[in-house]
Parts: sequence; C-alpha cells; structure tokens
Amino acid sequence: MRIEKCYFCSGPVYPGHGVMFVRNDCKSFRFCRSKCHKNFKKKRNPRKTRWTKAFRKASGKELTVDNALEFEKRRNIPVKYNRNLWDKTVEAMKRVEEIKQKRQARFIMNRLKKGKQLEKEEAITEVKKNIHLIKAPHAGKAKQLEAKMVQKLQEDVDMGDDN
Amino acid sequence: MGKSKQVGNHKSDKKKHISKTWKTKRRTKDLDQIHSDMKPDTATKLLNQEVDYDVTGCAQHYCLHCARYFTDMRSLKEHFKTKGHKKRLKLLREEPYTQAEAERAAGMGSYIAPKKVEVKTQNVEEDMD
Repeated sequence: MRIEKCYFCSGPVYPGHGVMFVRNDCKSFRFCRSKCHKNFKKKRNPRKTRWTKAFRKASGKELTVDNALEFEKRRNIPVKYNRNLWDKTVEAMKRVEEIKQKRQARFIMNRLKKGKQLEKEEAITEVKKNIHLIKAPHAGKAKQLEAKMVQKLQEDVDMGDDN
Repeated sequence: MGKSKQVGNHKSDKKKHISKTWKTKRRTKDLDQIHSDMKPDTATKLLNQEVDYDVTGCAQHYCLHCARYFTDMRSLKEHFKTKGHKKRLKLLREEPYTQAEAERAAGMGSYIAPKKVEVKTQNVEEDMD
C-alpha cells in the first residue's frame, strides 16, 4: 500500500480516495479531491496557486532546504520484514518528525521577524512625516522669544551699568 | 495571481459553458506536452506535416507553442503578433511542473527551483520550404 501525493496540492492521497486522470500520452495524475482536479482542468499552475504546497515552497513561505526533508523517499524496492528493523524505523520516524517540526517552526518564526522589523520602521517614518499632528509647529516659540528678550534686556542693563 | 481571466459574461458564447470546455473531449495540450513537442525532432515533425484535409489549413500552418493550426501563412503570422501567443511564450519559459515537484513540496526532498528555458517564436521562413 502506498500513500500517493496529490499532483496539485501535494496532499496525501489514501487508497480509495481522490481521482486519477490518465492523459492520452499515458501520464497519470492523482488528485486528492475534486477541488484539485477542477483546478487542474482549468490548467492552473500549482506554483502560482496560493494554497498549494508548491506555491508555499516556491515563494519561501516554508522550510525548503533541509536534511530533515531527505528521509522520506519513494522507495521502489520492497524490504523483507524484520522485526528489529521495523522497530528502529518507527522510532526513527518519530524522531525525524520531531526534528522537522521544530526546524519548520523556527524557520517560520524567523520569517515573521522580518515583518515586525518592517512594521517598526514604517511606524517611525509615519511619526516623522506627521509630527505636526503631535506637536504644533510653533509650540513653545512664544516662550523662547520671551526668554530671548529678557536676556537682551539684561545685557542692555549690564552695558548701561558699565557706562 | 488569483485574478480571473474572464472579463464579462455577456454575448460571448465561448464563456457560457465553462464546464463543457473542461471536458476531456475538448482537452487541449498541457504545457508539459508542449515542452516535449519543442524538442527538435518532434518539432520538425510537427512543423512539416503531411497534407491532412481534416485539419484546419490542411495541417500546413501550425503554431508549435500554442498547439494550434491556422488556415494560411498570413493568419499564422498575425497570430505571432497577438497577446495570447506572447503570453504563451512567457508561460513556456519556465520548466514544467511535475509530480516529482509535488512530492518534493510535500516533504520528500528539498526544493529545487525550476530552470529557465529559452523559448522563441518558430522561424516562419523555414516553414515556407
């Protein structure tokens, strides 16, 4: 028994589920549900369709290059049953999955950090542009002028004293 | 990206029965089929077909990239200037999507970026011979 992958969305296709389309040049396409089949019939490109795995990988939304992704493979040679090997494989699968999950989560968190930084920069520029809304352009100018006048008067008085 | 190609649904009969245009009976060639057609030996075979009275223009004027027959040389040349043809060339410039890529996207191996393919409109003078 083999769990195939959907041609369009890369989701799992379990036996007895989905549709297989065989084109007149013998190439077969498996689809997990009618949604994927319909989109294929419309000749949509999975790389350009936002909800597919292919899009998410192609546009860097998900972890794309990693050693943890190299374990799952299409193996065409059947292996004779061996209890020891079986146990070890199941153990390894769990471990690999755990590592993969962790790495994917970390990748996404790192990706989102960029957005936060951009948001901050944007906020700063917005404040700089609209500073007149926060602080009136002539706020405190009267007080400054007054201080200046007082200083000048003081100087004049001092000069008068000297004479 | 998600923008629909359909502009208006009045008058044009072509757009009225969308589900019928998707029937396998009316299926047109996929991009990956055209990519395999573009290989030199198949391309020469397709461009120099024998006279077939059942096909438009006796199968003498074929656009390789749009997988379409035209009645005469003039309409074929006109077609090369159209937006549809140019768009098709643009789509063909990327390596076709495969089941292997779908599997890689599902976590069976690392992502490999699609290669660029150089595509040019077929040479018309060559067809005249």
